[in-house]
Amino acid sequence: MLDEILKSIVEMEEEEAIKKAKEYLDGGGDPQKLLEVCRDAMGEVGARFEKGEYFLSELILGGEIFKQIMEFTLPKIKGESVKKIGKIVLGTVKEDVHNIGKDIFKVFAEASGFEVIDIGIDTPEEKFVEAVKEHKPDIVGMSCLITAGVTSMKKTVDKLKEAGLRDSVKIIIGGGRVDESVKEFTGADAWADDAAKGVRLCKQLIGVEG
Amino acid sequence: MVSNAKELAEKRLARLMAAMNLEEPDKVPLAGVGGDIVPAYSGLSMYEYCYDSEKALKAMENFLKDFPCDWPFAASVSGLDGRVFNVAFSEFPDISINLTFITGPMHDVLGDKYYRYPGREISEDSSPQFIGGSFMEADEYDKLIEDPVKFIAETVLPRACRNLETPRKAMATMVRLGTEISKFNAMMMQTVGLMQELGYPAMALGGAYAPLDLIGDFLRGVENLLLDIRRYPDKVKAATEALVEPIMNYALAHKNIGATLAFIPLHLNEYLSPKLYKEFYWPTLKEVIVRLVNEGFKVMVFFEGRHDAHLETILELPKGWGVAYFEKTDVVKAKEVLKGHTCVMGGIPMGLIVGGTPAQIDEYVKNLLEKVKPGGGFILAPGVGTAPRETPVENIKALIEAVEKYG
Repeated sequence: MLDEILKSIVEMEEEEAIKKAKEYLDGGGDPQKLLEVCRDAMGEVGARFEKGEYFLSELILGGEIFKQIMEFTLPKIKGESVKKIGKIVLGTVKEDVHNIGKDIFKVFAEASGFEVIDIGIDTPEEKFVEAVKEHKPDIVGMSCLITAGVTSMKKTVDKLKEAGLRDSVKIIIGGGRVDESVKEFTGADAWADDAAKGVRLCKQLIGVEG
Repeated sequence: MVSNAKELAEKRLARLMAAMNLEEPDKVPLAGVGGDIVPAYSGLSMYEYCYDSEKALKAMENFLKDFPCDWPFAASVSGLDGRVFNVAFSEFPDISINLTFITGPMHDVLGDKYYRYPGREISEDSSPQFIGGSFMEADEYDKLIEDPVKFIAETVLPRACRNLETPRKAMATMVRLGTEISKFNAMMMQTVGLMQELGYPAMALGGAYAPLDLIGDFLRGVENLLLDIRRYPDKVKAATEALVEPIMNYALAHKNIGATLAFIPLHLNEYLSPKLYKEFYWPTLKEVIVRLVNEGFKVMVFFEGRHDAHLETILELPKGWGVAYFEKTDVVKAKEVLKGHTCVMGGIPMGLIVGGTPAQIDEYVKNLLEKVKPGGGFILAPGVGTAPRETPVENIKALIEAVEKYG
């Protein structure tokens, strides 16, 4: 049963996957095991994306299926603790109001076992600083779509430096228009222009196998 | 001076046309950078640039004087894509073509939920941004398919624009929109005059759109549409087919202003697997392009993101159809595939211009042009034309100088 659920998610069979997951839980299945299978499935979707077999539409649909299954699975796990591999403070940087890239990354990061604190779009540098102080994350993830976001990323890294917080976190930047030279320019630790790579690098940044 | 400007414009135009016609120009043409740096260079906020046409024109003049190129494609107009309005007005060609760009003042008049403008929803220094949204339900495809113009004009736009919510509001809004169109056209005339003075070719640009993008950007929202493709494939496909005619009506209306080049910016191309691309995106986009070519247009398509997986489909278009402008697709590889068939444009990552040094830029342009210059049919351009306001101007200079040296 769990194998079939995994296959349905990976093959993008939305209705099948959700139906089987419900059946599995209704039949007394272990929600923790279902969660693990869904995470494995998302890992496989990400891997296929990185191999060029899957595209953004599959990442988005895979994320949608995962979210739908989690809606009725997670409440059954509460009480028992869901193990997290690390904490990410995530936001779209100042002067950029786009959320799609951030949201795709968030689903995949959560599916990989990260706790994600989403601080929104058009996020001022100070808000990143406050969030780092408050949540003490392992990683700060900054997203942007428009080119202007690139300079906001740099300013945010600078603000974290000023606040003396730069060395306490790893910083990853993401978005369609970031690349190696943008990483150098901003002073981030890693960059990704897709969610699958982003999550893989986040695992590497905290020393969990990617 | 005037004759010099004229000569210069002719030389630049010849350079561009040679590249578009797959010939080798005297020098590789450069389509320059633009965007936020244009107002910033003159100390203007983005808000002023979007709302004060006199200041905007002056900023454009300052920028184009100091950073010349062959085609200041990205350094003019500060409007955002308004193709849903083009379709809504597609039965009225004289109106339809005026709404390709929705300017800040037009956005205010419409009260739409598609755009965010500096000094309005976002800070005065922010770039104007398109975010789209979902203004059509999944069970409304039949209405869209049956009469796309009626459905968009009468159902979608009243939802998407606060000031079109009721017929009464719409009356006043349309009068005001007409006033803004007149102002915008007057500014465009001044821009053309300025371009001529500065020795730039006056190229009237037409436009069209990929039918699936129209649904994703303006009707359903990108995420919803991607789910719709899986859930209701036949409906989505029929909707793209229904949108071809109104898009063509809008596109062909540009004949009246003497446009010979139609610009189509793509969005969802990079989202789709080759299978989905060939089934839902490409057939109707191809039809739009081929029909424009048959009507005497050249077409310039901006392939956003990575188009590598779909590169070969471009060869299905008639040879010499136009310009394939790539954002992140490797232009060296693209030129290899499209050589002798399609003019290739792009090549400069904006990250390099923002974060690189003049020496790195020189080296990069030298290496790139060595590979793509032979045989012609190439226009050098930033992958995305909008340079952030803090872009080091010495880097923009370095780009221009490198093209002078190695072009």
